[in-house]
Amino acid sequence: MQVADLNQIDLQALARGDKRSWDTFVGAAAPLINAMVRRALAPYGLGEDDVMDAAQDVFVRLCAQDFRLLKTYDPARAGLSTWLAVVARSAAIDHARRRRRPTQPIDEVPETVLGVEDRHVEKLKIPQGLLTERQTLILKYLYDEEREVADIAQLLKVDPQTVRSTQHRALVRLRAYFREGTG
Amino acid sequence: MSTQRDDLPASDKELWRRLDANGAVGVRPVDDLEFAAWIEGRLGEAEAARLEASIAADPEMRRAALDIADILGKPLPAAPERMAVRARALVGFEAERQVARKGVGDWLLNWMAPSALRPAAVTMAAIAIAAGGFTMGGGLGASFAQQHYEASGNQRAVSTSEASTDISEFFASDGI
Repeated sequence: MQVADLNQIDLQALARGDKRSWDTFVGAAAPLINAMVRRALAPYGLGEDDVMDAAQDVFVRLCAQDFRLLKTYDPARAGLSTWLAVVARSAAIDHARRRRRPTQPIDEVPETVLGVEDRHVEKLKIPQGLLTERQTLILKYLYDEEREVADIAQLLKVDPQTVRSTQHRALVRLRAYFREGTG
Repeated sequence: MSTQRDDLPASDKELWRRLDANGAVGVRPVDDLEFAAWIEGRLGEAEAARLEASIAADPEMRRAALDIADILGKPLPAAPERMAVRARALVGFEAERQVARKGVGDWLLNWMAPSALRPAAVTMAAIAIAAGGFTMGGGLGASFAQQHYEASGNQRAVSTSEASTDISEFFASDGI
């Protein structure tokens, strides 16, 4: 079943606890929850049983206390599949943290994390308002997370060229501020 | 105050690492629905900017956003059947849930709860059973007939007893 089917679920029947709606929901949501949980647990090096248990945690969260969490979902604010992915990732991370600390191949760890930082070097504070929130986010993705421009563009739903030009404008502003001074 | 720097690194990456961006944005908690709405690009410019400030400041949220966008943009493989079976078992049919919710004690308490109809129904049932049993037993007519039969039986028994006494006296007086 595709994710598109998930957005066709009768949410009112589901929140009432209707068994058939729940079974349909499980069929539609399981591929997404499965994929999200596997992705979230990957850095923790956990096994198949943990994937199953974390996925079950997601479903338990959704139906616990008379479907309390599910009832907080508002289709006017976000799509069910996106909200469900957020909930699934959060539940999976909680599960993994209860089980063990994450492990990550050293090749996948960004340089900034591996590098031994000289604590005595005082960083220059970027004044509030110098960069827009989006500029800051893009620079963090590019330099702190070392992510690809294409991934950031997909997330922000913009052209990769827009990401590059935002990056360029942000760096020009930073250089200009710190080189020339603001008085 | 001057922020003149002559020793700025040539590389953009080096420059960024010399800077502290954490104080540059205001951070506030983000709920799941807001985060989902931002990922879908549904928020207005001001609201999106507020969220982007929070996401920029939190490495876990940055990773989550990329993971979720990536997963949602791909065709998904089927989940293991065991996962779906376990999840389906979490919610039962309505009748099962009612039984699960109400134990025998709850059922009894519920049954005994005050109701306008229940005492009347119990009284009617008691009367019907009593009347039915009485009728099957023959009613008042049979009761009187029984009483009369028992009374006459006693009378006959008394007569027989008196006769046997007379005979005994006859034989005794005759010397037998």
